Amino acid sequence: MIPGSDLPEGARRVPYESPGLPDHRSPLRFLWWLTTSQYRRVLLGALWGSTWMCALMLPPYLLSKTIDEGLKARDTGMLLLWIGAVVVTGAGTAILGILRHRTMTRIRVDAAYRTVQVVTRHVTRLGSALPRQVSAGELTHLQVGDIGRIAQTLTITGPGVGAVIAYAATAVLLVRISAVIAVVVLLGVPALALTVGPLLGKLHGAESRYREDQGALTSLAGDMVAGLSVLNGIGGKPLFAGRYRERSRALVPLGYRVAAITSWVQALTACLPMVFLAVVTWISARMAASGAITVGELVAVYGYVAALLVPVSSLIEGADDLPRGLVSARRVVDILALAPAPEEHRTRLDPPAAPGLLRDPVSGLVVAPGKVTALVGARPDEPRAVVDRLAGYTDSEASWGDLKLSDWDRTALRRHILLTDNEAYMFPGPLRSVVSGSTGSTGRCDEDIRRALHAAAAEDIIDALPDGLDTRLENQARNVSGGQRQRLQLTRALLADPAVLLLVEPTSALDAHTEATVAARVAAHRHGRTTLVVSTSPLVLGQADEVAYLVNGKVQATGTHGELLADQPGYAALVFRGSAGIPGEAAVAQPLEGQSR
Amino acid sequence: MSRSDRTPRLPIADARTVRRAGWQLMRDDAGAVCAMLLLTCLAALAGAAGPWLLGRIVTRAESGDLSVSAVDGLAAAVLGFSAARLVLSRYARGLSHRFGERALARLREEVVDHTLSLPGRVADEVSTGDLVTRTTLDVSTVAATLRNAAPDMFISGIQVVFIFAAVFLLDPLLGLCSVVGLPLVWGVSRWYLARSRDAYLAEGAAAGDVSEILNSTAHGARTVEAYGLGELRNSTLDEAIDTTYRAGMRTLSLRTVLFPVTEFAHTLPMALILLVGGFGYLNGTISLGVVVAGSLYMWQLVDPLNQMLVWVEQLQRSGASFARIKGVGLVSHTADAPVSAPVDDLIEVKGVGYSYVPGHEILKDVDLLVRPGERLAVVGRSGAGKSTLGKLLSGADVPDAGHVLVGGVPVADQAAAGELGNRIVLITQQHHVFMGTLRDNMTMAAPEADDEAVLAALRSVEADWVAELPEGLDTPLGSGGVELEAAQAQQLTLARVHLADPHTLILDEATSLLDPTTARQAERAVAAVRSGRTVIAIAHRLQTAHDADRIAVMESGRIVELGTHDELVGAGGPYSDLWRSWNGER
Repeated sequence: MIPGSDLPEGARRVPYESPGLPDHRSPLRFLWWLTTSQYRRVLLGALWGSTWMCALMLPPYLLSKTIDEGLKARDTGMLLLWIGAVVVTGAGTAILGILRHRTMTRIRVDAAYRTVQVVTRHVTRLGSALPRQVSAGELTHLQVGDIGRIAQTLTITGPGVGAVIAYAATAVLLVRISAVIAVVVLLGVPALALTVGPLLGKLHGAESRYREDQGALTSLAGDMVAGLSVLNGIGGKPLFAGRYRERSRALVPLGYRVAAITSWVQALTACLPMVFLAVVTWISARMAASGAITVGELVAVYGYVAALLVPVSSLIEGADDLPRGLVSARRVVDILALAPAPEEHRTRLDPPAAPGLLRDPVSGLVVAPGKVTALVGARPDEPRAVVDRLAGYTDSEASWGDLKLSDWDRTALRRHILLTDNEAYMFPGPLRSVVSGSTGSTGRCDEDIRRALHAAAAEDIIDALPDGLDTRLENQARNVSGGQRQRLQLTRALLADPAVLLLVEPTSALDAHTEATVAARVAAHRHGRTTLVVSTSPLVLGQADEVAYLVNGKVQATGTHGELLADQPGYAALVFRGSAGIPGEAAVAQPLEGQSR
Repeated sequence: MSRSDRTPRLPIADARTVRRAGWQLMRDDAGAVCAMLLLTCLAALAGAAGPWLLGRIVTRAESGDLSVSAVDGLAAAVLGFSAARLVLSRYARGLSHRFGERALARLREEVVDHTLSLPGRVADEVSTGDLVTRTTLDVSTVAATLRNAAPDMFISGIQVVFIFAAVFLLDPLLGLCSVVGLPLVWGVSRWYLARSRDAYLAEGAAAGDVSEILNSTAHGARTVEAYGLGELRNSTLDEAIDTTYRAGMRTLSLRTVLFPVTEFAHTLPMALILLVGGFGYLNGTISLGVVVAGSLYMWQLVDPLNQMLVWVEQLQRSGASFARIKGVGLVSHTADAPVSAPVDDLIEVKGVGYSYVPGHEILKDVDLLVRPGERLAVVGRSGAGKSTLGKLLSGADVPDAGHVLVGGVPVADQAAAGELGNRIVLITQQHHVFMGTLRDNMTMAAPEADDEAVLAALRSVEADWVAELPEGLDTPLGSGGVELEAAQAQQLTLARVHLADPHTLILDEATSLLDPTTARQAERAVAAVRSGRTVIAIAHRLQTAHDADRIAVMESGRIVELGTHDELVGAGGPYSDLWRSWNGER
């Protein structure tokens, strides 16, 4: 009866294997796309919505028949017949009502999660092209209420359509009783809806102001909780509590303003039809008094007009939902409209035939294939700029095996050259899948994972976790320590096994013992593959086949750690003492010579 | 507090506590609730007048004495009552809306206060995500209910009561007929409510997972690209959506039983009233008008009943949210007996043992004496217990065995009594930039500090980037403002401590994200503010150890070496091995 309900996986329900190509030319087109993508369900929803609403109009009709043909005619048979009809109609309406609700729920769920699917898929396609402010701000906004509001808008397709049809059906019934009453009702009801219209506009204004401030207040609370351990450490709690209280109190008057308008809208929606009903009752009672209509018809008119309450509220609700839905759809459309940089000229897919040199002309760095090279710079942004060029994140003349990096297809290049730093995101999930970057079945075998864990000296982390590799890692690996997180990040990078691996400060959060172990094991693990490590730790530098010393963004000297220590005083000062550029440091550095035996 | 009292997961308030808390919300604003009740009753009364008067018209028309003037009188009354109902319900709704607004303000301030007063160890252990959800999403859910669902439920509920009362007043026999649907509604509601709470909780949790995946995918978009995780992210999302879909269908199946039964529940009495009333009319015992009015009343039940049904789902969801919000307050902050004032700043660690999991000791019999003004470095492998020791020294937790005393008084007692103030500060790798201006972020630890002091503190940790901020100290930071890099945030944290000026500073890898030059400068700066400051630095960079007065080397929860740099290098133990490899001697 309902499409998709009993169909197997991946069929006509979310999640879709392919959620389709969204129409992101305008918010309205997007909503329309969400509607047409499930047109069968929407048509069914409209059908149930309409029949249900029309069925709501039947009781007054049946009531009038019961009165006229059963009671007034004193016909027991007809009385029982019409009462039976009331029961059957009641049961039918209940069934239609739930069919409507089930279908509309499915329509809303479909719209909501299809939207989430297309947004997520788009975001994964955009990758590093997604602007930072969008990733942080807009999307958080998006999930809080927008998806729900978009889904809510689709309610119009069912009860909304039904309301119009029920209205027309009532018109037909009324004309059969009295043309005058029909005209009054049919013109009066739209007039009622119109009186609420301007209020809705005002309401939206007050509400958006309120919602904005409420959103800011919510962020404030969330921000405070996220920084709770900091507050615990350093104090400032009374300050925060006070600030929050102040903002919270300031929101209340804004809420009152919304309350004032909302209560009018709600009271008018619920009661204005009743006032109108009184007017119609007046007219029809006079007709009944003069004998122009029967008593049963009088009751019927009363019932019809009272029943119109449901379609009228549906229409007002729709008029309320649509603008909100459009605002929310605008946010989705804005994200969907972001496009990655053009790719036409990037055609190369495979790595160079023979292992080639990786060159960065700007700094003069040349990374030899199959070796571990270390890059040292006094300021972190200098080596950072170099690796960004070498990984093809910033456009430059950087080359690999004498071919320009900008010739490679971006996705292919990422497979070959992997740049990872401590900001690399750790997604939540089972540890196995987090480090192997895939789901269990197609992932790396446990042996590979063990080897990578060993190289990153991360085995003890797994051993200490309750379910080993199957333990769930929280978002951003929050349930492990900073040092453990860093080693898991390194494990993931090693498991990815790219032809060229660029590591930025991979051991910065590790203790010296572990750092020494990791440096030696990573060099062994990457044996024969090209690796570049940005680090200032002597424990790491000592393990590198070659070290490049960067001064003011240019390679000043290359050699082994020992050679550079001997030839480059600035280098020695930097890696041992972290003291480059601090005046008067030389004197403090003196005892060092005595220490190294 | 022993280990068994730990709260790894925040509790959820039980149904009784929730009911009491809901009741309390109303008691706190009793005047408004009474006014609301009164206006709503009057509005419902005015609403019940319509069918009644129509019944009178019908009866008169039936008996043939319906004059036009009588019609005018009765109809004018119908009109008057409808208009009165409109105005009354507007004010009833306005009042309940305002009540909801105030109740919400109290609720959200309360949850924030409770969150802030969570004992440090609990705050550290519970999942931040859970706490964030409770203070944000759950509050929003309850807000929507308090503003819309609760008033609607309330008004509809009173309407239902009035409708039944009106039918009883019309004719007691018909009144009896009118309530035949109630057992049905009662039965199905019980069936539904017994199952719905868990089902809606599951649906909410699943939907939360979907949001988390969307959000984390966007935040980690760069990583997704680097590792080619697009497929994995999409399939993870699809799985979560599938779970949510199934959870949603489960709640839908519950409603599939509830909705039709309750909707049918008003047809049954309507038919019964027509039947009983109809035969009564035929036998001359009941007037036609009463039958008409009675059945119209039943039919009018549709509206309030539907309203209530629409909100049941929302009410369920917010009931769950409300329980979670109230759960935060259940982790009480036990105010201990007043502690005696510490005599000095001497730190004593005596025979301290500690374990997170029974039988798995992190610290074993640790003894340590840190003199005021001393600089102590703690080095050792990950998992050696360094951070745990730091936590105990800061009073954020209590040892299982032994004592951590500052000036002769247990430090955790001082922390719990809130008397530690800014005397001992622990800085970890965790850093957080609060939403607000740079000045707000700095002065939270020292409200009296002037701009000059703030800038000086920032300069001391080499936060040169401050000069490049568009609005200087007034630049808004955090989401929505300037997003600092991790290293900058760490500098901000250090500068903050600089201002807070504690007598003892515990740095747990607090400079790990800085480049070595800046890190060293920053460490020296925070240590040097006042000569008497005790600094305990847990560090992996041996420069830090070299700079310290004494070094404690930890291994498997014990302090295995303790002495000056020169002593330890000379001793030929673990520290000297490390120092040699650090110096490039393989």
